[in-house]
Amino acid sequence: MTIGKLIYSLIDNIESFICRSLLATFVVILFIQIVSRQVFNHSIAWSEELSTYMFVWFVYFGASYATKLAAHNRVTFQFKLFPPKVAVVSEALADLIWIGFNCYFVFLSYDFVFNKMNLFWKSQTLGFPMKYVYMILPIAFALMTFRIIQVNYYKLIKGIDIRDPESLEVEKLIESSDKETQSN
Amino acid sequence: MVETSVVMILFGSFLLLLLMGAPISVSLGVSALASFLYLGENPIKFVQIAFTSVGSFPLMALPAFILAGALMEAAGISKRLVDLAESFAGPFTGGMSAATVMACMFFGAISGSGPATTAAVGMLMIPAMVQRGYSKGYASAITASSGGLGVVIPPSIPMVIFGISAMGLMAPPEAIAQYGQFQSVSIPKLFIAGFFPGLVLSVGLLIMNYFLCRKHGYKGTTEGWSMATTMTAFRKGIWSVLAPIVILGGIYSGLFTPTESAIVAIFYTLVIGFFVHKELKFKDVMHSLETTTWLTGRVLLILFTATVFGRLLVENQIPAIVASSMLEMTTNLYLIWALIIFFLLFVGMFMETLAAIMILTPVLLPVAYNLGIDPIHFGIVVVCCLSIGFQTPPLGENLFIASGVSGSSIEEISIKALPFAFVSVLSVFVIAYVPEITLFLPSLLGY
Repeated sequence: MTIGKLIYSLIDNIESFICRSLLATFVVILFIQIVSRQVFNHSIAWSEELSTYMFVWFVYFGASYATKLAAHNRVTFQFKLFPPKVAVVSEALADLIWIGFNCYFVFLSYDFVFNKMNLFWKSQTLGFPMKYVYMILPIAFALMTFRIIQVNYYKLIKGIDIRDPESLEVEKLIESSDKETQSN
Repeated sequence: MVETSVVMILFGSFLLLLLMGAPISVSLGVSALASFLYLGENPIKFVQIAFTSVGSFPLMALPAFILAGALMEAAGISKRLVDLAESFAGPFTGGMSAATVMACMFFGAISGSGPATTAAVGMLMIPAMVQRGYSKGYASAITASSGGLGVVIPPSIPMVIFGISAMGLMAPPEAIAQYGQFQSVSIPKLFIAGFFPGLVLSVGLLIMNYFLCRKHGYKGTTEGWSMATTMTAFRKGIWSVLAPIVILGGIYSGLFTPTESAIVAIFYTLVIGFFVHKELKFKDVMHSLETTTWLTGRVLLILFTATVFGRLLVENQIPAIVASSMLEMTTNLYLIWALIIFFLLFVGMFMETLAAIMILTPVLLPVAYNLGIDPIHFGIVVVCCLSIGFQTPPLGENLFIASGVSGSSIEEISIKALPFAFVSVLSVFVIAYVPEITLFLPSLLGY
């Protein structure tokens, strides 16, 4: 793998890297808190707050990553009544509405963070400005909008079918059990 | 008439978007936004709810349990639990399928997800049952049906979601005036309350399984039950058996909150997987972290938009209207329960469980309060009803997985699963009509 490709895959999976790091970090922080409370009888004041904020960042970056994997649940049984083209067009239209919603939300949250919010509002125990915590909302929803466009570009123009990870997993299970029955 | 037109906009645009194939989270968000703009309310509330709905400490139990479940599978803990169940029940009539139900119960105690339970147990048990002469269809049907136990037996992810959705909803004052103070909803309390209802559902499945197996002539293994085999399986699986004991013991004794007990379970699994079973690899850990990321991101985006949606419903008195129109039809509590159960079963057929809980709790829980139904009891019945949706088409995740593993068609499995669905519905009615099954354990433990 060349450096260029490595950087590309790093950027293409940026939410996944951020989220895995955040998740691992807050799980460890909470574990240290439990050990410190149960074993040393000492409660760490800032752990709950910090981990909750990390969790919020984790969730919204995770929502963006789920968008990239086309993993957001849709109701699809009604499409069985129509030719497959209907589903493609209808979902693309729905995604257009989704983009509109996200753009408006990015505007709202940007406006909130930079204009409406009390700048001196600080977090309770750690004391950093809440502005930076809320910043996740415009960032993540902008990123999510980009991912919607990316998925639709792959699907509609490149013709690559992006399947949601759950059905991929089931397919993998079927394949592996097929192999087992053949070898038996 | 302002109120009815808002309701039309809210539900009309929601259903339209849903049918267009928009993600559930987006359908909820856009329809709520449309109603906000129509009412001329300040949409800045969206931003605040986006942060406050997700930024709650008890909610961190959700990724923690998903991660714990994914790691336990990779660490070989679930596999050993299945082996143990097989050695217990294998030798009796219908024993292998009974072992499947028991394996789902064990596994349900460590994992919070129905499809994950079906996949983990089905991969091992369906081939084993077929080898003992069970038909593929029957083997898949019993697995798909008992996979739902995974969400009823605590720890349970749907219960975490119900708890979070219900905590923000106060009982209406007129209901308190009529029925007295209601107990508060908390996730540990739900986890304790779910234990016996889970048992009722399991026993129902086991009884139905016994009669069906006798009819089909599925005998036990010829070797007979041997103490030695069970002991070997037990010794090999001792660390796996301890996992549910650690999780549930920690919660029930009040030593840990659910979030903390999931965190402890994660580290327990890492130690067992790396050093005792030596089956866990760094790659598996990375994969589990990734799965947890997109699952959590997907569910909690729905939580954000469902919270806005739910708030609009409550502000516009929708639950009160639903409750009073139900009471106009009948005042018989048993009939009302039946209506609620059939409604939930119907929704469970079409909608993903967690999404259904987040959308329906703000509507139905105030209705339950107005009828004097205990909120904990109500939550358990909701989770039980929706768990049956896993095994019914058209959106039965368990059916797809069981069909994928076994190779029998979804139609065949659905038909063979009908008796089990029937007995599960019967069990749900028992759980709904006898609140003591749900409520006696929490009160015994002083919650």
